[in-house]
Amino acid sequence: MNLESLAFLCNWCAYAGADLAGVSRLQYPPSIRTVRVMCSGRVDPMFVLEAFKDGCDGVLVAG
Amino acid sequence: MTQKLFDIAGIGQERLHLAWVSSAEAQRFVEVVIDATESVKAKGEFDPKAFEYELAAAEMTLSGETLRWMVGKEVKITSKGDVYGRKWDVENFEIILDAVLEREYQKNLIYKAVKEGHTSVRDIHKKIGLDLKRISYLLADLEKTNKVEFTGMKDRIPVFAVL
Repeated sequence: MNLESLAFLCNWCAYAGADLAGVSRLQYPPSIRTVRVMCSGRVDPMFVLEAFKDGCDGVLVAG
Repeated sequence: MTQKLFDIAGIGQERLHLAWVSSAEAQRFVEVVIDATESVKAKGEFDPKAFEYELAAAEMTLSGETLRWMVGKEVKITSKGDVYGRKWDVENFEIILDAVLEREYQKNLIYKAVKEGHTSVRDIHKKIGLDLKRISYLLADLEKTNKVEFTGMKDRIPVFAVL
């Protein structure tokens, strides 16, 4: 079973955190696909619904 | 609010996660991601086709005027007061917001069902599983706001259509 989640990451916080996680070679699940947004406030509920409509199994918004 | 709506729609709020991670917290980011993927895994695969009506109704609800206005006015009404000068508790406001959320969602679900050709109360009930009484009640509401109209009787069954 291949589950895919979409992650909206804030450019200044979580995206940098994800970058650091990569640089420090921390392991995290490969099933997330990231979308960089300039601020997590940019994420509209419509984006989330659109993701589910296109068949994502989960959505994470991190700021 | 979107998480609450996902619960009402039967999609499950376990599929939607919100977390705060600072740029220095790589470890925390990893934890959040593992946490999110685990709970999505527990829910299994999501089939958008099976939830077509629910997703359409959720979209109409979240982009609709009613909820956008209510959310936009929340801070004002709970801190400064409404137009009559009454100040609302956040708790009370949220109770009403939840009720409105559910009601708007159900209304949109009915609207979608009528639009797709389920034109009688019984037909709608079969399609979306909502209580018969609740459907008639909300249909009357949809009629009042000119979303749905009563087109006449067919074999002694009232028939509705979207406007």
